[in-house]
Amino acid sequence: MKATDVLERKATRRGFLQGVGGLTFAIGAGGMLRAVAQTSGNDELAPNLWVNIGADDTITIQFGGTELGQGTMTALPLVLAEELDADWNRVRVEQVATHDPAYGNPRAFRYLGEGILYTAGSQTLRGYYEAMRQAGAQARKVLLDAAAGEWGVPAAELETEPSVVVHPASGRRMSYGEIASFAQVPEQIEPVDESEFKDRSDYRYVGTDVLRIDVEAKSDGSAEFGIDVQVPGMVHASVLRAPVEGERPLEIDGAAALAIPGVLEIVEIPSGVAVVAETVEAGIAGKDALEVNWSNESRFREVDSDAVLAEYEAYARDTAYSTDDIPLWQDVGDIDAALAGADRVIEATYVTDAAYHAQMEPMNATASVSADGKSAEIWVSTQSQSMAVMGAAEALDTTIDKITLHLPYVGGAFGRRTEYRQKDIDDALFVSREIGRPVKVIWSREDDVRDGTFRPLAAQFLRGGLDADGRIVAVHQRVAAPSVLEYMNPPRWANAGGRDGIAMNGAQETRYAIPNLRAEHVRMERCSRVLAWRGVASSYTRFANESFVDELAHESGADPLEFRLDLARNDPRGRAVLEEAGRLAEWTRHRDDTALGVALSDYGGASVAAGIAEVSVDEATGDIAVHRFWMVVDAGLIVAPRNTEAQLEGNVIYGLSNALRERISIKEGVVEQSNFHDYPVMRMNEVPDIMVKALASDAPPSGIGELGLATTGAAVANAVFRATGARVRALPFTRERVLAALQEV
Amino acid sequence: MASFNINGRPVTVEADGDTRLLWVLREHLKLTGTKYGCGIGQCGACTVHIDGNATFACLTPLTAVEGREVTTIEGLVGEDGHPLQRAWVAEEVPQCGYCQSGQIMRAADLLARNAEPSREDIVTHMSPNLCRCGTYSRIVKAIERAAGEGGQ
Repeated sequence: MKATDVLERKATRRGFLQGVGGLTFAIGAGGMLRAVAQTSGNDELAPNLWVNIGADDTITIQFGGTELGQGTMTALPLVLAEELDADWNRVRVEQVATHDPAYGNPRAFRYLGEGILYTAGSQTLRGYYEAMRQAGAQARKVLLDAAAGEWGVPAAELETEPSVVVHPASGRRMSYGEIASFAQVPEQIEPVDESEFKDRSDYRYVGTDVLRIDVEAKSDGSAEFGIDVQVPGMVHASVLRAPVEGERPLEIDGAAALAIPGVLEIVEIPSGVAVVAETVEAGIAGKDALEVNWSNESRFREVDSDAVLAEYEAYARDTAYSTDDIPLWQDVGDIDAALAGADRVIEATYVTDAAYHAQMEPMNATASVSADGKSAEIWVSTQSQSMAVMGAAEALDTTIDKITLHLPYVGGAFGRRTEYRQKDIDDALFVSREIGRPVKVIWSREDDVRDGTFRPLAAQFLRGGLDADGRIVAVHQRVAAPSVLEYMNPPRWANAGGRDGIAMNGAQETRYAIPNLRAEHVRMERCSRVLAWRGVASSYTRFANESFVDELAHESGADPLEFRLDLARNDPRGRAVLEEAGRLAEWTRHRDDTALGVALSDYGGASVAAGIAEVSVDEATGDIAVHRFWMVVDAGLIVAPRNTEAQLEGNVIYGLSNALRERISIKEGVVEQSNFHDYPVMRMNEVPDIMVKALASDAPPSGIGELGLATTGAAVANAVFRATGARVRALPFTRERVLAALQEV
Repeated sequence: MASFNINGRPVTVEADGDTRLLWVLREHLKLTGTKYGCGIGQCGACTVHIDGNATFACLTPLTAVEGREVTTIEGLVGEDGHPLQRAWVAEEVPQCGYCQSGQIMRAADLLARNAEPSREDIVTHMSPNLCRCGTYSRIVKAIERAAGEGGQ
């Protein structure tokens, strides 16, 4: 099977049901939904929404995520196939390519009380795991019961081999496909009890290195990404975007653009002025030739990101300032009393610049809007089928059933494609509606950077108290940052009760034994477009937390690793990853020219990672060299070991790249960076030696796509401190910032 | 307009001479394995071979390939596959996969010049090509595997 076959199928639930000849039980992620009439004489058997067994022994498994490179399209079906005891070589997978609450991720937020398809926050395998297991187990049970009936033997006497039911006592065998040709799905399928699931020691696929389904097509150029989509009759549009958010064109002179051969039309759309052309190159040339006089009235014209960060810092430090309508993010014990009664109190402020996703595939979308402007087909790289469909319906002021979604592969996401109204979709829809033809809009890299939706600027003020024994009794963390949700997903924000998980995740929420904790969101006005970024907020919240724990360890005179092991005394999983990372890195071994720094980071309340960086610092230039990085994680059951290692390495590289130098700055409302020359992401010759390890765990799978990324900043900063005595509290650790910190030693 | 060989067969493309080879390949010739990443020769997603040399298609005007031999990922892999492509699968290199055509074309350029590259040779040669997912260590392993199997 080639993965491209999969993606060519327009796998909507409606199509799926129609394809099964009226024989199906609909069991979604939330459990039994309804029975559907059935007929006899099957080509196929579909015991539930997720799996369809063909009389030819082909097993089709649907998955609800989007494949971003994290392995979802393999891992989810694999879990179902394992419990079904399917022959993986006969499995084909289909992506759910529409918004259908029945397929919603049980761990994603809900819309109007219904589930949504949304691949973010490392919640996909974690969220669908039980549904996949249950669906596989129930389908197997249907097959066993049908075979038992056919042979007139008790089902308890039957066993399965991959895609075959076996009756050992008589030696009879029947393939799943043969059974599917006569089996009837019973009216009621009881949930299979956990105790009847396969024992992990019997797994054939889970925990082994099954090749990811998408790898072959991604190794020969045949994988189709959003940008590769070709639609008959399609034209191209390049959009000249407003120089500063909030401005609009006052006068448009398109004469020079229209004079370029191939340029067809100039269209004003909400994001700017689109040049529509027969070819990509004519569109680009037309965009370059456009003359537009922009308005000069946006409040963003005033934005200077350095000044904004200084302002955020002042608010973070002003403990008398709070926003009454924001509930405390976390509040445990009595923070004020604990700090007042502490033996020693220290405080520190950490600042982080805005960061850009730098996904390799620039934003792009293709759309074909109907003549009445009320229905559309869209082709787009996205992290959410539901958001794409809902957003498109809202854009066209129509209903979601009028939107047909096609899902090509996604050339990197990291949060960039989580918006409720994905801007590339809007661009393509509005141009197509205007010109009455299918259109592909590709953002230039420069537009992708300058109109980026960034991890926000943040300033964090931490206060911590130690008791006379040098143990932490209280930590108070004030995070001055804008609301991210308010911008990225207004409907979700409206139902969030003021709690912004995208701006705040990782603020305290600690596994450490600290009796008094407070984390609060000091909500600021945003100064740029903002969005979830890989690790969500944890790349800055954990940088502050774990730098501060190090500062407290230093204050108490303790070794940073020993101090954390004591803090993790009630958390065996946290202790285990710390101990193993320390062992691998030879924490106690003296090094002449380098030093180690450690950090621990929970992700999502389930996965946990310990990271250790080995660094040296050139005190003349302020350059930090990271030589080695060790990361040990507990992410529950590891479904795909090789892919897990790849994801963890990717997290280390992404985190280090950001911590060492990735920086978005804004002057007079204009983003100063524009491409990879001035937003330099880590190259192969800059990557340190990376050692990653996932510990064996009895827990269910709990997410690896962002795990440990948040240890990188603090581990490096903590190592710099041990190497030089200088504490860098501003991320990224530019030369200027390192030199300034060295000055203070 | 220009005439050249694409993956071994002659073509004539009717496009403005300034048109970047990247768009000629992707949109005129429908060879979409070559990717747009930056447009300024900073990421390598558009890497193709011109007369056997790894080149940024995003910086190459159409006129520059007149009479030349252009090879893309589609031509390199062809019907029979390629040792690097097989090594990429064996090492499960791609994550999102977007940069990988360019990576493979850059690696093929290396192995054509240096059949037994050291790790340092690989890292130096491959560093023009970005991978945001961070698949670098697997790229190195895959090149070492392909080199070990004598494949160019």
